Amino acid sequence: MIDLIEVFDRADQGPLISDTDYYMGRFVPKLAEVIARYRIKWDKNTIVNTDDDLADRVFQAAIDLLAEAGAYCSDSNRVMEFSRDEVLRAVEQAPKFARFGEGREAKTMYGRAVDDPSRPWIHIGGGIYTTDEQIYLDTVEGMAAISIADSLSVPSILHLRGKDARVRSPQELLTAIKTVILAREGIRRSGRAGLPIINGISAASNAVSMIAAAAPHFGLRITDGFLVDFLSEMIVNYEALQKVAYFSSISANIGSTSTPLFGGYAGGAEGVAVLAACYLIMGSLIYRGSYHYNAPLHLSLHLSSTKPLLWAIGMSNQANARNMRYPTVNLPYLGGGAGSKMVHYEMAAYMLAVVPAGGNIFSGHPAKSVEPDSLLPWDHQFHAEIGLAAAKYPRKEAEPLAQEFYKKYEGMIKSPEAGFRYAQVYDLKTKKIINSDYLRIQDEVREEFRGMGFEILPS
Amino acid sequence: MDKMELFEGLRDAMVSLEKEKVLSYTEKALEMDLEPLEVIDHGLLPGLTEIGKQFENEEVFLPELMLSAMVFQNAMAILQPRIKAQGTKSRKKGTVVIGTVKGDMHYIGKNIVRLLLEISGFEVHDLGVDVDPLKFVQKARDVQADIIALSALLTTTLVGQRDVIEALEGQGVRDRFKVMVGGGAVTKKWSEDIKADGYAETAYAAVEMAASFVQG
Repeated sequence: MIDLIEVFDRADQGPLISDTDYYMGRFVPKLAEVIARYRIKWDKNTIVNTDDDLADRVFQAAIDLLAEAGAYCSDSNRVMEFSRDEVLRAVEQAPKFARFGEGREAKTMYGRAVDDPSRPWIHIGGGIYTTDEQIYLDTVEGMAAISIADSLSVPSILHLRGKDARVRSPQELLTAIKTVILAREGIRRSGRAGLPIINGISAASNAVSMIAAAAPHFGLRITDGFLVDFLSEMIVNYEALQKVAYFSSISANIGSTSTPLFGGYAGGAEGVAVLAACYLIMGSLIYRGSYHYNAPLHLSLHLSSTKPLLWAIGMSNQANARNMRYPTVNLPYLGGGAGSKMVHYEMAAYMLAVVPAGGNIFSGHPAKSVEPDSLLPWDHQFHAEIGLAAAKYPRKEAEPLAQEFYKKYEGMIKSPEAGFRYAQVYDLKTKKIINSDYLRIQDEVREEFRGMGFEILPS
Repeated sequence: MDKMELFEGLRDAMVSLEKEKVLSYTEKALEMDLEPLEVIDHGLLPGLTEIGKQFENEEVFLPELMLSAMVFQNAMAILQPRIKAQGTKSRKKGTVVIGTVKGDMHYIGKNIVRLLLEISGFEVHDLGVDVDPLKFVQKARDVQADIIALSALLTTTLVGQRDVIEALEGQGVRDRFKVMVGGGAVTKKWSEDIKADGYAETAYAAVEMAASFVQG
């Protein structure tokens, strides 16, 4: 694979064009071309693809897209070009596993195969922000205490002394540090001090804050994971490359992150599937990732549980699982509020789409990720269990079940059910669940799932 | 070909994004001495409105929207000299200054709203991303805007929307502009907290809201 300095150099040496020219002259026509070249078509009735040849063609299209359109550096206004050979080498040399955690919590995340009955990696939590330090600590402790969790995404705190921390402000840097310190403390209180945090660093929007808060003084380690994102679509900027330069220099795990937008430059399901697979390759080549956060999203609905998106997300996992095996967790953005029936249905459809497709489990974001204090540990344990249940199904058997779950929330997608906040469910002193309505809903859903033949075993 | 056939052909060519046909119909309209504003109102805009609807229904996506705006601009370039020669002013629904607030580099949502506003007949001044609050105010004053549209994707950049409203108040011009907010992290409650004039969850809703503002 070409070395990292050469990658950085491509951001400064490629053709200099405007972003509009990049999209309209390169990315959009090339994406349409590769979709036609490889005859990629979504059957609108399908959620879980069972056509291996189609999954392989999606992967070939992703290779061609990167080799023929390149990425775009918004700081230099240059196209980062890579030859087909360079792209193929990045595919061949992409990591097949990543090692996280310390002591008895040290574990290996693998890139899985399709229809793989092995236990997936279980990633718990989300970066949603919390309004209160105590709720933050309790949420992290509750998440870390989920015995089947292999890694955590920790929430964000965006306030310092009751005031908003602005992007790029010194307060933001301090809140990023505070987030790390509190997260590590919450994990320690759970008795699992070595459990890795792999969404480093949720409260840091810029390279300075992220690198500052990653200093070992505050508790993060190179065996945690640090996220570096591609801006939608195909955008790489110096901030991201600075993070890559730093975290690769200390040999830390880098998590490449992408959010291809349904309805945006990629168009519909076919475009999102190809683009999501392309980002996986870019994660290995440009960001030197150890793992990937795959987070396709609907541009206007702000969720990932629509039928075409479920197909596209699953398809990108299948393409990866059959051709690269880059370890990937899939971030569900769900419409239903925490603890609602809708969010459980969405999660079941999502897990059935991605886990038999070769993806790993991520318990994800309820309420379109905008409702503060909505990470409820009891929900996340249930959702991880749903993921484990989904791992027992090959794609052919997952498809009809995913369809059944989809039907249950399809009518609510545009007006999702509201849910609960942490303080409405948990006693803030004892940390016990005190909301009987919340428990009743989950019990009813478990029973309903069992009735459908999808039994969720308590962990 | 009579006038109605031409308008229909122009509309259909616009919907199918056939640039050469759109330009050819537009030139033909001038050869037939049709009023340029009539060509816009009965040929180009109905085509653009249909594309806007198709976008809303997920039948077409952002690339088609961008292409339609480009084709429209090319057609307008043919019509403008005639409009100018006649001394008539091209009608516009209103003027909007749009941008993503300070600290936020995200632009797709903002670009879609811009395109939909343009193809709905608004004059739009796009300030790009990571825009200083005072720049919004200055531009809105310079172009005598009706509306300032503020995008923010991140929770940490929402405050940039409040800053713009504060800057408008500080300069005593808050009442001169309608301020609408949108973006991934924006909620109705947030828009109420900062006393924005409106919050749109989707790009199409943003256009409808903008239209309602200028209709009074």
